[in-house]
Amino acid sequence: MTLREQREIETDVYQPAEDSQLLAEAVCERLPADDDQLVLEVGTGSGYVAGRIAEETPARVIASDLNPHAVRQARGEGVETVRADLVAPFADGAFDAVAFNPPYLPTDPENEWDDWMEHALSGGEDGRAVIDPFLSRVGRVLAPDGVVYLLVSSLTGVDEVVERAGEEGFSAVAVADESFPFETLTVLKLFR
Amino acid sequence: MKESLLEILCCPLDKHDVELEDAEYGDDDEEIVAGTLVCSECGERYPIEDGIPNLLPPDMRGETPA
Repeated sequence: MTLREQREIETDVYQPAEDSQLLAEAVCERLPADDDQLVLEVGTGSGYVAGRIAEETPARVIASDLNPHAVRQARGEGVETVRADLVAPFADGAFDAVAFNPPYLPTDPENEWDDWMEHALSGGEDGRAVIDPFLSRVGRVLAPDGVVYLLVSSLTGVDEVVERAGEEGFSAVAVADESFPFETLTVLKLFR
Repeated sequence: MKESLLEILCCPLDKHDVELEDAEYGDDDEEIVAGTLVCSECGERYPIEDGIPNLLPPDMRGETPA
């Protein structure tokens, strides 16, 4: 599916897709069942991933998004939401886990448009325009043993993301993956 | 937003604590539906709209993408 076809499905808020499901399952399986951890989902969109974590685990989940339509939809699903730029308004060391399904599709700058769906999908020319700043900032809000669950596509370059995470002091392991005709999706667990 | 969220939030600009002003509570008294979060250091004000705190820096706050 091209970006433009994808865009026609929904114009304001990214709706749950295979990547959302893969991330939600990977996080739910790995959060402790006997501890009410504090979890942040960055870029929650519809609130699907945050909602599943809140439903299936004892964790308290906070969801953030830049998009006003997204935070309203997510709150409507019963998720605690904050309108935010990545992790900017969250306290140091606050979270046991941070989950992020980032905008990751590499896009030609000449074909970009400027609406909320582009923000939800486009990762700039290399697909990492949002992932890189996220990796440099997320460490601040993690508890000492905190972990990051980051969804990455083969279109974005898993090795490049792992290398970049390494520069920020994270080790990475792939905890889930799923192949599709045009890409393989991987959930990376990042830890220090 | 729940009042307990305050402990998790900070000013996005300087990371200092935010304080709640002019809070209006929902019918069950559990949720803050309107009010303002104010940075204890720089004084920047962040609105709570329909129960959702908007902690974007002032230049990113609009309804259209930045």
